[in-house]
This record gives sequence, C-alpha cells and structure tokens, in this order.
Amino acid sequence: MEVEDELEAPATPLFADLASADDPRAISAMLRQQRVHTIENMFHLLTHREDVEAALRRPAVYTSAPEAVQLGNIRPLIPLSVDPPKHVKYRRILDPLFAPKHMAALDGEVAELVNQTMDNFASKGTCDFHEEFAVPLPCTVFLRLMGLPLEDLDMFLEMKDGIIRPSGDTMEAQSPTRKKTAENIYAYFEKTLAQRRRAPTEDLLARIMRSEVDGVRLTDEEILDICFLFIIAGLDTVTDSLDCIFGHLSQNPEHLRQVAADESVIPSAIEELLRWESPVPAVPRVLGEDVEVDGCPMRAGEHVMLLIGAANTDPAAHPGVDSVDLLRNPNPHLAFGGGVHRCLGSHLARVELRVALREWHKRIPMYELVPGTVLEYTEGLRSLHHLPLQFPPAR
Amino acid sequence: MHIRLDVERCQGHGRCYVLAPDLFDADDYGHCVLLVDEIPAGREDDARTGVENCPEQALSLED
Repeated sequence: MEVEDELEAPATPLFADLASADDPRAISAMLRQQRVHTIENMFHLLTHREDVEAALRRPAVYTSAPEAVQLGNIRPLIPLSVDPPKHVKYRRILDPLFAPKHMAALDGEVAELVNQTMDNFASKGTCDFHEEFAVPLPCTVFLRLMGLPLEDLDMFLEMKDGIIRPSGDTMEAQSPTRKKTAENIYAYFEKTLAQRRRAPTEDLLARIMRSEVDGVRLTDEEILDICFLFIIAGLDTVTDSLDCIFGHLSQNPEHLRQVAADESVIPSAIEELLRWESPVPAVPRVLGEDVEVDGCPMRAGEHVMLLIGAANTDPAAHPGVDSVDLLRNPNPHLAFGGGVHRCLGSHLARVELRVALREWHKRIPMYELVPGTVLEYTEGLRSLHHLPLQFPPAR
Repeated sequence: MHIRLDVERCQGHGRCYVLAPDLFDADDYGHCVLLVDEIPAGREDDARTGVENCPEQALSLED
C-alpha cells in the first residue's frame, strides 16, 4: 500500500501528458519503471511491450466493452466496442473493404486530393500545416470514399471535433456538446441511408449496405454505428499522424533531407515515425475478469489503459528503440494496436500518409518551422494546435 | 528453411507482404498467405524481414 501511495501521485500527471508532451518518450520511460500503475485504486496502466501485447491478444479478459469508449454514442461503436464472437461477423464484412489491395488502388485519387489541398498555399511559401493540410485532407478522402458531397467538409469537421475535442475541461462539461453532436451524426447518416435506398451509388457506403453475413444484411442501426465510428476513428487519427510526422521532419533537417531525397524511404519512415510518436498513445480496455500483472491485482469491471507509446519505445522489446532510424528493420510496432481490434483503417491510413509524404516532398522538398514557433501538442490524441511552416514558394 | 504462419495470431497488419511481396501475400481479408514452402536460396534475409516485422509474432522461421 505504501508503495502504491508513493507512485499514485506521479503516475496521474504523467499519464495525462502522454499525448501532449514535447517528448512523450521521456514520460513513457518514467512510466515503464513500473509494469503496472494503479490510479485511484481502480484504473490501471500497462507500460511494457510484453504486457500490452499479451493484453491485446486476450479480448475476453481485456474487453472492449462499450464503457471503455464513451463518446456520445447511444449504442456500441461497430466494430470497436464489440468483442468476439460477434466482432468476427463485422470484421468479415469490413476487412475486405479496407484490405490493402483496395486501398492501394486509391493512390491516384488521394494524390489528386493532396495536390488540390496544396494548391491553396504552395505558391505563398507559408502555411499552417495543421489547419490547411492535416485537418482537411483525411476528411476529404473520407467524403470521397463514402460518396458524400465535398461541400459537407466543414460540417464533418465540426462533427468530428464535437466528439473528439469538445469544449470544456471535464467529461461532464464536454458531455452536452458530445450528445448534441452525436445526434447530428446519427441524423445525417439516417438521411444519407434513406437517400441511398432511393438512388443507389457505388462507393464504400454502398458496399457496406450491400454486404451480407450468412445471407443476412446489416441493419440500419448497425450501419449507423459503423459510420459513427468512421467519423471519430478515421479522421482525427490521420490528422494526428500527419501533424506528428511533419512536426518531426520540420524540426529534424537530416530526416527531412533523407525523405525528400529518396521517395523509397517514405514507407519505412512512416512506420518509424508512427512508432516514435505513437499518435494514439493509449487504448482503453475494461476487464472481463480478475487478473494479476506483476503481482498487481486488477478486478473485473475496472479500466485498463494499454500504453501503446510506452510499448513502442520499450528497449526491453527491441534494441535501439530510443532514437529515430527512418530505415529501422525490423519495426514491429503497435501504433495501429493489435489483436482482433487492430485498426481497421490502418491500410487506408498508410496510403494517405504515403501519398501525402510523396506528393508534398515532390513540390515542397525543403521547409522549416516559422521562426519563433513553439509547437504545442494536443491532449488525448497527439496532434498539433498549429504547425506554421515556411518554404521557397512552389508551383 | 521454412516460414511458419500461426493463422490464429495473424491480424492482417500487412507488414510481411508489403516488405517481401514474393514470399507473402494477402487473402481477401488482408491476412497473410505464405507463397513459398521452402525459402528459396538467397532469400533468407527477405524472409527474416517479413517474419520479424510482424507485430503479432504470427510468423517464425524453422529449419
């Protein structure tokens, strides 16, 4: 008990800063000094790669019960808040739609959207990368994929932020915004589904509506719960990843030169910077039964955060992980999670990031932070409030 | 040398078939399919790269 009391105080603020710290690796290293931290006797953190990986692999024990993620949704998010055996049904429908081969075919379309986005600022020689690129791009790609009108961009950004980054300092203060936004999301997609029934289209949403398991189609509610998850899981995370990667490159000229000089470095640079930055620093689970890790008892119903960022920089798992090596091999990081809940959109995210880095550096191979800039990372999911860049004006 | 795949562990991260596409492929769900039984001579490094990059440790090498 004495030990627990001593460590309770430091673990809480350290955990709160995991996404927003200038150097989250230092925080992860401090947290890793102990395999398990228990906050307020009921909320646990797993900090070692080995334990995080083992937990990801045991969904019956470390469950994704709906109370793990509460974001204004009135029903469980599909497939995030559903565990096996039901989870298998949804992934059998969704995995093929997000399979790498389909996603790779989007290369040209994404390149076009990247270049259109860059047209707005390339010739000016300066931009706020976050506002003008990292935020709109993933949303634009999503709208295109789902066959939704591009004019809805601003509304989508509002819906995403209303859930992920609502105003208010506490969960209670944020709750009304989340609730109202959630109602808007359900209403928007209900309307869209009705329209699609009258006038069928050919896009991701159409394929979801058509898909069957054992001859049975998804219900409207199930489709709404999938769409809800797409908005909150598919838009902000790519923004976060873009901010993290370009934030790193703009402050590390030797890495920027490496990426700009040789396009073939880009895929492994993305993997390495996702590992290093871990834009999603932790994933939540709810215990389905009592377990013990490193002598620390944890009871059924209690919440556990699996610290992805700490696992990704755990030197016990891999040598040399405390520095950035854009050509790192092997690099079996967990930035997209693991186990049955491995990020459904990981292959889409990789295409977006790869094409964004390729097209960006073709047009703007050299850039730097606007002098005097102090970068501030966001809490929860690691993105930047602003990323002001300057560069020689490009075509 | 052979590659062994634990299909229960594979979750479709897709690292193996991106890094060594002539040794590993994807099924319709994006999960790993082994393309070779015996690792061809001179391809051991690529096989090792595919195996060691799997975040789930679903792949292993055996003699």
